[in-house]
Amino acid sequence: MKKRYAFAISLSLTLALSLIAATRAGASGDNVSAVTIGSTVADFKLTDTSGKEQKLSSLKGRNGTVLIFISTQCPVVRDYIERIGKLAADYRERGVNVIGINSNATETIDDMKAHASANNLAFPVLKDKGNKIADLLGAERTPEVFFLDASNKLVYHGRIDNHRNITLVNANDLRDAIDATLAGKPVVKAEASAFGCTIKKAS
Amino acid sequence: MRYSLSLALGPMALLLLLLLALALILTEQRASIAHAAPSVNARHVLTRGGVEHKEAAVAAAAAQTHRADAGATPAIREVDLEGLKKLLQRDGATSGKNARPLLVNFWATWCGPCRDEFPDLVRINADYSGRNLDFITVSLDDPSEIKTTVPAFLREMRAPMPSYLLNVIDPETVISAVDPSWGGGLPATFLYDANGRLVFKHTGRIKAEELRAAIDKVTSGK
Repeated sequence: MKKRYAFAISLSLTLALSLIAATRAGASGDNVSAVTIGSTVADFKLTDTSGKEQKLSSLKGRNGTVLIFISTQCPVVRDYIERIGKLAADYRERGVNVIGINSNATETIDDMKAHASANNLAFPVLKDKGNKIADLLGAERTPEVFFLDASNKLVYHGRIDNHRNITLVNANDLRDAIDATLAGKPVVKAEASAFGCTIKKAS
Repeated sequence: MRYSLSLALGPMALLLLLLLALALILTEQRASIAHAAPSVNARHVLTRGGVEHKEAAVAAAAAQTHRADAGATPAIREVDLEGLKKLLQRDGATSGKNARPLLVNFWATWCGPCRDEFPDLVRINADYSGRNLDFITVSLDDPSEIKTTVPAFLREMRAPMPSYLLNVIDPETVISAVDPSWGGGLPATFLYDANGRLVFKHTGRIKAEELRAAIDKVTSGK
């Protein structure tokens, strides 16, 4: 008798807990899990524009890595692409590498290859098929930056600077974060946002 | 007797736990919506000359009294951060007991999904403008386009909603004022109840039925 009673209670508990878990997942279905400032980004693998698999650990800079979500079609990325190229060139010698990530389901590797060639991109651009890395990091728009220090700890997240019109820029948030990290200082402003194109994720 | 009592207790325990789970979920959802209420903290405002934030209250009044008028494109007003805050808070003529729920859509002519969803928004405006809802659109286009591409697109869409164009140097101040959890992706749509509480938000192209359901809920006061 006691066994039957215990079984009924166990079954009830299991069902109730499953319901809580399932409903919570549904409630946050539109949200993506995000890596927070100070947490470490685990190694991941993505395919580059030549179809070769690349690891974060093999592309990262010795002093830090800029992961930047870009798009071949977003007009905001178009306005920033020269600035991104210059940033990559300015910091490469100082041990900071830039890695572009394209998570747009609507853009193919061929699109990315043409875009990289047309804009003379001198940094790798990886295809995030199924937007797994965008979801892992919590990336939602382009351009959106995640700057990792030498040990892959996230120290800055957000925008490149405050304005897509370069003549109106008065806050270089990403460069400030990189400079502070290279100088061994804490990043004063670890997050900053800006308007951009929504990443078109796989449904 | 004991056997039948045990059989009755099992389903009762299940029911009790299910009710508990439901209560937990509802509490959590309420808390998350309350947390997302728009920030009204004073922030440093960066503006350029000529921005009409003082006219925002007047414009908000226009938003309240506006009714769908397909074919006519209203003048696009430039707003800065303070102007936008006033629009969101429904200061002045629209505050107090006359305030209505407010739908705000942030968009830009350069944003594909923004353009794609606009016909749905125009239809929603037509369906709800006479039913206790104010609806404004805020363009993130360059201010130099206030008399060119922005009105041209709104005219093409036959969009009669009161329209604004944001002029700020630092977009972060606006993003934080609207919703600190908004990453800045466009399009973005926010629905506030009559008390100014954020009750629905969506980044990316809207799902019209989802938005309509949220509007139905807020306009019916349920």
